[in-house]
Formats: sequence, C-alpha cells, structure tokens
Amino acid sequence: MAEIAFTLNGREQRVDVEPDTPLLWVVREQFELTGTKFGCGKGLCGACTVHMDGYPIRSCSFPVSAVAGRQITTIEGIAPSLDELHPVQQVWMANSVPQCGYCQSGQIMAAVALLEQNTNPSDDEINAAMSNICRCGTYPRIRTAVKQAASLIRQDGAVSIVEPRATAREVSV
Amino acid sequence: MSLSRRDFFKRGAALGGGIAVGIHLTGCGEEAAYPGAKPGELRPNAFLQVRPNGDVVFQLPRAEMGQGVYTGLTTLAAEELNMDAADIVVEQAYYHPEFRDPEFQMMMTGGSVSLRNNYEPVRQAAANLREWMCQAAARQWGASGDLRVEGGAVINADGQRLAFAELIETARSIPTPEDAPLKPAAEFSQIGREGVRLDALGKVTGTATFGIDCQLPGAMTAVMRRCPHLGGRVRSFDDAKAKAVKGVTAIFEVNGGVAVVANGYWPARKAADALDIVWNKGPLAGLDDAALRKRHDTLLQEDGREVSEEGDADKAVGERLEATYRAPMLSHSPMEPPNALVNVTSDKVEVWTGTQVPDTVIGVVAAALERPREQIIVHNQMLGGGFGRRLVPDYIVEAARISAKTGKPIKMVWSREDDIQHDYYRPAATTVMSATVDKGEVTSFTAKTVVPSIMSQLMPLFAEASMPEWLPPAIPRSLGGLLKHVDTSMAEGISHTGYHFPYMKVSAVHDDTPIPVGFWRSVGHSQNAFFTESFVDELAHRVGQDPVAFRMQHMSPDSRRYGVLKMAAEKAVWGQTEPGQFQGVAAHDSFHTSVAQVVTASVKEGAIKVHRVVCVVDCGLAVNPDVVRSQMESGIVFGLTAALKGAITLEDGRVMQSNFHDYPMLSLAETPEIEVHIVASQSAPTGVGEPGLPPVAPALANAVFAATGQRLRELPLRLA
Repeated sequence: MAEIAFTLNGREQRVDVEPDTPLLWVVREQFELTGTKFGCGKGLCGACTVHMDGYPIRSCSFPVSAVAGRQITTIEGIAPSLDELHPVQQVWMANSVPQCGYCQSGQIMAAVALLEQNTNPSDDEINAAMSNICRCGTYPRIRTAVKQAASLIRQDGAVSIVEPRATAREVSV
Repeated sequence: MSLSRRDFFKRGAALGGGIAVGIHLTGCGEEAAYPGAKPGELRPNAFLQVRPNGDVVFQLPRAEMGQGVYTGLTTLAAEELNMDAADIVVEQAYYHPEFRDPEFQMMMTGGSVSLRNNYEPVRQAAANLREWMCQAAARQWGASGDLRVEGGAVINADGQRLAFAELIETARSIPTPEDAPLKPAAEFSQIGREGVRLDALGKVTGTATFGIDCQLPGAMTAVMRRCPHLGGRVRSFDDAKAKAVKGVTAIFEVNGGVAVVANGYWPARKAADALDIVWNKGPLAGLDDAALRKRHDTLLQEDGREVSEEGDADKAVGERLEATYRAPMLSHSPMEPPNALVNVTSDKVEVWTGTQVPDTVIGVVAAALERPREQIIVHNQMLGGGFGRRLVPDYIVEAARISAKTGKPIKMVWSREDDIQHDYYRPAATTVMSATVDKGEVTSFTAKTVVPSIMSQLMPLFAEASMPEWLPPAIPRSLGGLLKHVDTSMAEGISHTGYHFPYMKVSAVHDDTPIPVGFWRSVGHSQNAFFTESFVDELAHRVGQDPVAFRMQHMSPDSRRYGVLKMAAEKAVWGQTEPGQFQGVAAHDSFHTSVAQVVTASVKEGAIKVHRVVCVVDCGLAVNPDVVRSQMESGIVFGLTAALKGAITLEDGRVMQSNFHDYPMLSLAETPEIEVHIVASQSAPTGVGEPGLPPVAPALANAVFAATGQRLRELPLRLA
C-alpha cells in the first residue's frame, strides 16, 4: 500500500491503496464517484475518461500512482451544480444525445477536453478526439452536439439552450 | 393482461374476503398488494400513485436500456393526466403480476413490445386516476358539472382548483374508476410532440444509477474465472499466488468456475488472473469455425421443417438460381458489463442489477437458493445497454450463490473479456436462397436456413440442473411463455415477408449445438433480412429491373412496407449520387414495424465507406418522434457494426475474441450521416427498438454490389 495525494475535482485528497490500482477503481470505490464508468479495462472504449491536468485520460488503465500531485477532474467536477450545467452537458441534453447513457460521462469528458483546446473543431478534429465507443449509436448526435457546444463556448458559454422548464423540474428532483 | 383487478377482488370475496372488497372500495387497502407503496398515498392501480404532497408517481414497468421507455411510457400517462411528463416522478417498478406483458406472460423488456403493449394499459391507468380525481373534487364541491384535470389539479367551470393532494382523503371513499374514457387522439397534446428525453439529465451528469453503481455497506467484490472452452468446467486449481494478493478474502469453486472475493475490484481481478486453473474442456472441445461451417453444409442436406409455403409449386419453372449466405456468431457487448449486487439474508434475498427479466431473476434466484419467490426482491436499475444480453440472468445467479456461500453482500462484476467470451451469442446461420426465373419473370422464391433454434436450446438448458452450471434445477414457469414466443425466430424475416412470387417456400433446419445462443437485437431478423433483401436484389439485377421498382412490383401497394420503400426512394433521391458513390436499398418488416433504408457507399482501395443512410419508418403513431429517430439511428449503427466488423469465432470450443481490439465497434469517425423520416400515422404504435437494424446490412451489401459488381453473401462484408 502507498499513500498517494492528488487533487480530485478541486479538492486535495489522499488515498492509501496499492499503487498499481487503476485510477478508475479509486475514483469509484474509494471516493464513491460512480459517474465514471468501467467498460473494457484496457483503455479501448473511453467509458472511464477523466481529465488529468485538463487532458483526457482513460482511467481504467492508468495507475493511481501516476496521478500523484496532479489535478483530476471527473464528470462530477465539470459543472458547479445540477442547476448550472457545463455547456457540453446542456447541448447533450438539448439534443437528447444519451440513450442507455452508460458511455456518456466519458463522451462528455472527451468533448470538454477537446473544446478546451479547440473551440472550433473541424469534422476531422472531432473524429480524432471523439474516439470513445457508444454501443447505442449516439454518434450522429454527439457530432452535432460537439459543434453546438463549440458555438456556445465561442459565444461565451453561459447561454442556456435547454428549455428552462425541463431543466428546472429535473434538477429539483 | 393478467387477472383483472375486478376478478381479483371477486375472488377475494369468494374466499371470505369481504373486508378486502370493503378495503378495495375505500381505495387504500390495495397498497399492500403493490410493491413500492408509501404510507398515505393513493394508488388506484399498479402503474400510478398520488403521494400526500401531490406528486404523481409513475411505476415504470419496463427496463430503460436506451430505447426510451422511460420517456415514452411516462408520456402516455402524462397525456391522460394533462400534466407535463417532466412533472411526473418516475420510479423503476418492482415485480408485480400486473406488470407482466400480455404476450410474453412475464415482466420483461424485449421483443420491441413495450410501447405497443402498454399503449392502452398505461393510458387507461392514467385516465382512471384522472376520473377518480374528478369524482373526488365533485364530491368536495358538491357539484359535478364541468370539471377538467390539469397540472395535478382538478379545475371547475368557475376556475376553482383542488390539487390532487387535497383530494386524496375524499377519493378513498369512492370506488376507483376502471373504464374511464380515453382521450381521443385529436386532443393529444403530448403524444406525438417533440421533447427532450426525461432521463437525459441524470445521464449527462453521471448521476443516473446503473447496476454497477449500487453499493451496500460491507459488500465485497467478486469476480470469476470461467472455463474459456464453452460448456467446460474447472478440473483443479492452485490459488497459492492468488491468495497472496492483499485484500482477497475467499477463493472457491462455484458454477463450474472459480470465484474470487475481495475488498474491491482490482484486488479481486489481480487475484483471479493469478489463479492457476486446469480446465475440463467440455462438449465443444475441438470445435472451430471450419468445423462449424462444414456442419452447416451437412445440415443443409436435410429437409428441415417447413416454415411456410405459398402458391403453386408447378409454377416454379425456368432457370434455377441458388446462392449460399452466411452470418457469424455475435456477442451483445453492452457498454455496461454484466454485474449484480446480491445480499442473501435469512429472510430475504435482495438483488440490485440491470435486467430485462425481473420475473425470471426472481424465479432462478429462488430456485438456486431454494427460497420462496416472495423472498426475492429485484431492485432494477438503468441498464447500460441490453440488446437481449440482459434477458439471461446467469451473472445474477452467480452473485447470489457467492453471497449465500460467504454470508456477505456480493457485488459481482464481469470484465469485458468475461462478457465477450461468455455470452449467449447471436447464432451463426447458413441459408441457401433459391429462385427460378422464366422469360424474365421470377417464378419462385425458396429458402432453407440452418440455424440453432434459440428456444429449443434454452428450454432443455433451463430444465436441467447440470448445464449450464449457474442454472438452478427448477424452471421458472414464466420462461416458457418467452421461449414459446420466439420459436419462430429461426426463419423470421425470410418467411412471411410480404413478397409475392408465384411459388414460395421456406424451410428451417435446427442446428442442435451446445454453443450457448440467445436473443440478439432483432433476433432472427438480424441475419435473415440480410439473406432475403440481398437475394431479392440479386433477382432484380438478374431480371434487369431497378431494385426499388422490382421490390414494389412484388409487394402489396397498400402495405406499410410499400409506403416506406417508396418514401425512402424519394427522400434519398434514388438513382442520383455523387460521382464514385453508389446506392443500395432494403425494406424489411419486423416487430410490426416497416423500415426502408437507402445506403450510399463507396469503395476505395478495398475499403467500404458508408456515406449516408436515409431511413423511413412506419411504426404507427410516433409517441415521441425524437425517440423513434434515435432508435433508428441506434439500430443503424448497431447493424453497421455487425455488417462491417462483427464476428465471434471459435477455436477448440473457445471464443477467440476478448475485448474491443479484436471485437471492434463502429466509431464516430466511421458513422455515416443518418437521415430519418417517420411516416405520419394514427395507427396504434408498434416497436422501434429493433426494426431499424435488419435492413442496413443488406442495403449496404447492395450498395457494395452496385459499386463493385461483387455480391457479398457473408457477414461481415469482406471484399475479395
């Protein structure tokens, strides 16, 4: 066992686990943040995507020892609250992107990371950055949503394009 | 439906249940009969509740696995209650006989029936509640008059309102209406309207709860090593290295494999990998794909069972054409690997999981642990994909047995490798399509398919204690209904297609294999549409006709399928493409829904590229048009993965694929532009979860033929 310190969603954390434990399981089991999903365990599908210092990593095959001193952000950490969604989450809702929804945390984390680097991605750039697998086939909507989110972010992001009514009700649940 | 409520209480009275009738009349005594009941609430039927605070609760009787029932079925209730669907509190229903599907006779989600078979029951349940609230308000106001229900309140002609919460007590003294009139379609304000999915917020914020996200204090994680040779079992194992992994608490043999229990997934997985196991290879030892192919070729010599025969055999004259088509085994591979959290205690067994069949889970867990059904409680969760995989509860029984053995709550998590190598696979099929052509006319259309019957395989499996190992000795009776229903799946989509030729005959030969097979999205249609719609294309080219015109000539002009085909040809501008691009078409009926697709593709340096899919669907009334569109997109992407990539292969009886590197999925970059059109219709809704899938493989193969002249008769499509 080894104590590893890192920042998780803006808070300093320490955890005492075997250093080869993948970050995914530390996030899910030690910190009980279950928005990040297990899909393949080999970094192939991206369901486990989180950010390390702003860049997307596949946490299922990323040992926790390698995040010592780093900033980790998960799906739970990209919006201030359920009332103030990240622009990517807003367009994801407005386009009804999720079906089963299991891969969507990873998809959204990949999209957020892309748009932090590039607020006007071309189709080819979207193809390259959005390599996460979705078995439900939400890809056409993901492409549309990434472009809309880019446009929102270029206009300074804060505009809610989701029907306020639907959002207000849902977040009160 | 099952026993009606009225019958139930009649019977109750006959058994000396006068009190029950009395309680029924007051409307509150039924609470005990329905799971998920809360004190003080009003519950007119299994589907709906009014909480003391006025919240209207809908018990979602089907599993949400992406197909949109959460939104669709809630919309039906909202419509009759004149409430915004987003204002209804949705809870995942616990098992109750009234949630059984009238066709399958069990509480299950599959066969694309959820909306079709709940279209009336859910609206009726909501209309009854609406009527009840009106009657209660009339009594409180002392005048019936002109009352309407809106936004969780009853409003009278003077504009006075009584909220549902204020009507609960009065309602208890009024018999629950059972046959309240349903809204006429002309007054629908939510059904047919565009809207955001109701489950979207939880799914974009990571707060939606899937089975794998459930946790209990003191729960241990279990993983298993199962025999890689299908049907085999452990002979012996050495756990010296595995036991040394920190956090491991138990290692033992169960269900023919070896279970490792630990204080988290990673130690459990590391220990499992460190096990040294000697396997008995079982009944499939030595089997590989070449042998499977040869076996199908041999079985083709048998007559098989006649599935359908139409027309006059004497008319089958002229030149005979014959072509052999093949489809491989496929794994479901939902993104959420199989998992279950089970807590076995002295008086109950609680299961947190994602399942398509709560009814069967209760039956098999009860039998495995020798407990009465009443002790088994299934807390169903969001499903991270189902596609038919979650119709088989093997992973849940494993967890239950391990919990029983260890006396602790057990969270069983499968790896992706476990999932791909221990599935109930879409069976491999080989089909000889044949026809006769005389003077430029097709005079007959016949087919013989060789495929395992999923029903006849699963029936004895479920009946025997010995195989598969996870299966308990008794069969839950409810399963019979399911198996019986899908027996037709062998030739579905080759027979009864609605094509007319002077003579038609379809026969099926059962491949009685021990390879585990199961229901894979669109079941028999998944391969049979490829066989039929590719061969029909061959015939069109053979007689020198346009593939769209040829199809239309051989189907009824008043059929739904004719309608979608005609519209697809128009929307795709059939016959006009960019230079270097080619079109292919297919039109197929499945699950009472008609879908036509025109695929535009190109072939460059031996690689197939799909540019565009135009899809037209006639599913009756589209309750949520956006969900219908998303399900067509979903079926197309799922079907393209199968058409371009999917194949499970065997060596020595073991599956050679293990994860997404060798069992790849279509990526975003490879996904074509998809355009979906919905035929306007007022007919009762039919299924959309599966019908989008079957036409895409043949439409693509037909486009590849147009591009290259190569007729690809085997999936996945590989150019010579």
